[in-house]
Amino acid sequence: MFTDAANFDVRDYLRKEMMPHFLCPGCGHGIALRALLWALHDLAIDKDKLAVVSGIGCAGRLSAYIDANTFHTTHGRPLAYATGLALARPDLHVVVISGDGDCLAIGGNHLIHACRRNLKITCLMLNNEIYGMTGGQVSPTTSESRLTTTTPLGNNEPNFDACALATAAGAGFVGREVTRHVPKLKELIKAGLEHPGFAFVEVLSDCTEVFGRKNDLGSSPEMIMRQKSEIRPSAYRNTVETPFHSTSLPTGILTQNDRPEYGAAHRRAAAAVVAKGAK
Amino acid sequence: MPHSRIELRFGGTGGQGLILSGKMLADALASEGKHVAQSQTYEPTSRGGFCNADLVVANGEVDYPLPIAFDYLVLLDKLAVKPSWPRIKPDALVIADTRLCPELPDGSTPRHHLPLSRTALELGNERVTNIVALGALIALSGICKRQSIERVVRTGSPRAFLDLNLDALAAGYALATPVAAAAS
Amino acid sequence: MNVHDKSLSKSTAKLLSGNSACAQGAVAAGCKFFAGYPITPSSEIAEKLVTSLPQAGGVFIQMEDEISAMAAVIGASMGGVKAMTATSGPGFSLKQENIGYAAGAEIPCVIVNVMRGGPSTGMPTRPSQADIMQTRFGSHGDYPMIVLAPSSVREIYEETIRAFDLAEICRTPVIVLYDQVIAQSSETVALAPPSGVRAERKWASGPRADYKPYAAGIDGIPAMPRPGDGYRTHTTGLTHGENGFPTQNPEAVERAMSRLYSKLDLHRELIESWEAIRCEDADVVIVAIGISARAAKRAVEICRAKGVHVGLFRPITLWPFPEAALQQACKGARAVLVPELNIGQLRLEVERLLGRHRVEGLHQYSGEPITPAQIAARATTLASEA
Repeated sequence: MFTDAANFDVRDYLRKEMMPHFLCPGCGHGIALRALLWALHDLAIDKDKLAVVSGIGCAGRLSAYIDANTFHTTHGRPLAYATGLALARPDLHVVVISGDGDCLAIGGNHLIHACRRNLKITCLMLNNEIYGMTGGQVSPTTSESRLTTTTPLGNNEPNFDACALATAAGAGFVGREVTRHVPKLKELIKAGLEHPGFAFVEVLSDCTEVFGRKNDLGSSPEMIMRQKSEIRPSAYRNTVETPFHSTSLPTGILTQNDRPEYGAAHRRAAAAVVAKGAK
Repeated sequence: MPHSRIELRFGGTGGQGLILSGKMLADALASEGKHVAQSQTYEPTSRGGFCNADLVVANGEVDYPLPIAFDYLVLLDKLAVKPSWPRIKPDALVIADTRLCPELPDGSTPRHHLPLSRTALELGNERVTNIVALGALIALSGICKRQSIERVVRTGSPRAFLDLNLDALAAGYALATPVAAAAS
Repeated sequence: MNVHDKSLSKSTAKLLSGNSACAQGAVAAGCKFFAGYPITPSSEIAEKLVTSLPQAGGVFIQMEDEISAMAAVIGASMGGVKAMTATSGPGFSLKQENIGYAAGAEIPCVIVNVMRGGPSTGMPTRPSQADIMQTRFGSHGDYPMIVLAPSSVREIYEETIRAFDLAEICRTPVIVLYDQVIAQSSETVALAPPSGVRAERKWASGPRADYKPYAAGIDGIPAMPRPGDGYRTHTTGLTHGENGFPTQNPEAVERAMSRLYSKLDLHRELIESWEAIRCEDADVVIVAIGISARAAKRAVEICRAKGVHVGLFRPITLWPFPEAALQQACKGARAVLVPELNIGQLRLEVERLLGRHRVEGLHQYSGEPITPAQIAARATTLASEA
């Protein structure tokens, strides 16, 4: 049974007609999806009022499995779609699911401006270091020296620290967690969902079938265990005021402040415009 | 032609307020029931370069909104001469600023050199040269009633410029009235 | 419908620019969301709506780029409100992928494209009519598109309102296309308050179990689910079946694509609009849009005054092209002249529809509009040769 202590049954939040899902065996994205649904359950968020907006790629496909108002948009743009949706419908709870390529490469501009703007959206970026769906090309988060189909001799580009980027761009809530710690991941997503402004949650997820095989990282359990030990030695430098060592990845809530939420500020500004016009 | 059609241009450089003059005159004409199309061409920069505000005035709906041949041409900079001169009617009336547009091509076209910008400077701000020119044009052409343009200047000027604009309009009339009397 | 010459009420006439009229039309149509990005020569639309939209209870946002402006508009419309963006040349190119998304996922929205010289950055402050084909075929894949091409300040107001109505009725993006001259010139106009009731979206109703978000009745338009109403459906840019979920089943794909394409045909009478002036006895019919049509209107007068029988056919709905109306208007003509500010786009469509006619283009791409005299001279020559 999938039932947890807190009466969470993942089947209550999944579209059964979409099963079996299309994720590869061992893919970390299923764990991330489950953690998200669990967090939604814990917060008793009404599925009718939940809008999940996703981009393109493996992570982008997850929205279709969620029993809510789901929007599978264009590559890199889910945050921009979500901005329109959240401004037009402040009554909805808007969650974005994106991948590392979607969010940091083709959609990087939208990420930094969403962080700056601070509209109430919870953005989950599932980072598996690779463009999995297109067959395993290098992404902005691929660690140095890793093999991909477009870095046959090893990646020689530096990679992004997404959380440092989000913090620098002004996000009020930034956190990172690995798929190995499901309850911790759930708690982090929950904190992100409860944050009054823009929340950026990076989930370190494993791509076993493409990234793992290409780099001889072993089976799924072995990759999960790597998250505990020597995960991505060069991927995360000193990030967000937390000294980084290869064995102590900065996870958990990395940034949290109460900058004014954009939607409410926008509505106040609009009211001022109306009041000025009425004079 | 279905309707009488009068065409005029304020020509000069970007930042001189030519488009404002054009819009004010258009509003004044519209208040008298005329149909007006107002257009401009401009460079991608905000200041400097050739700039113009053109009006096409008709009693009925303006079919083609862009000018074909000008009946009136106001020149506030020598830059505007070259692109505008080939498009004036043979009997067009030309008003040019004495200082900013001292030389005009030869020919029989009626023309008046008026100290528009100097008058504006004497009023205290060269930026109202456009309004001086507006007053002079209306005085010389009789294209609309004085109270129509005064009403527009009164309602359409920023508060800080209201008195200055009204003075500039009157100064333009004063400059042109003796010229108009001499011409008739 | 043929909208031949409506008369103006002079008493309420005001000097207004095309871009201002567009912003006023959007508010009158019930627009509640605008997202944009600064670009010449369409920025004035945003500059007007930043004030007038909140006053009408709507939301204005300037986004980080052209792509996100289009995406935000679609997102807002998915949320259930009437939404619009406005752009020009390069910005319109950047929006294309998401315009295709709106067409495929059937999300109503309005996109204003003020044409300027191109390609690339081109001539930002000069007029052009070189986006005629891009408005129809700019995004990848097969999809239907409605494009309205007003040619005066008053018509920009009216067609912007009609664009919203058609977007809602047909569940599709609608493009309002006009050129820099019409956009930034001002005309004295009396804007008539919109007649009738504005079109509202057909919302899903009834039991959730029976509801399929892309199943349509005889009108070809599926009822749209509004988030919060309990339908909890999926919207995707992937080819989808009636249930909204992705499919690559050949029969389902073909059925979905056929309905998508044919839905505009079912509403063609409502969509098509044109103006035909003195075509009945014309030896030469001019076909033109925008500022070129305004020049042509005067050229008709010039020619007629000299006894040359010239008429004008002006498609107001550019796409789908009013095919039958054009063929009817050109029935007696011996030659057809297409003046346009490009190297030949509208002419291609006219040639396609009038296979047997002599069709000539008058193409100008210098950044200067075509003058009435140019058109009159060419039409006169054509009349004498034909």
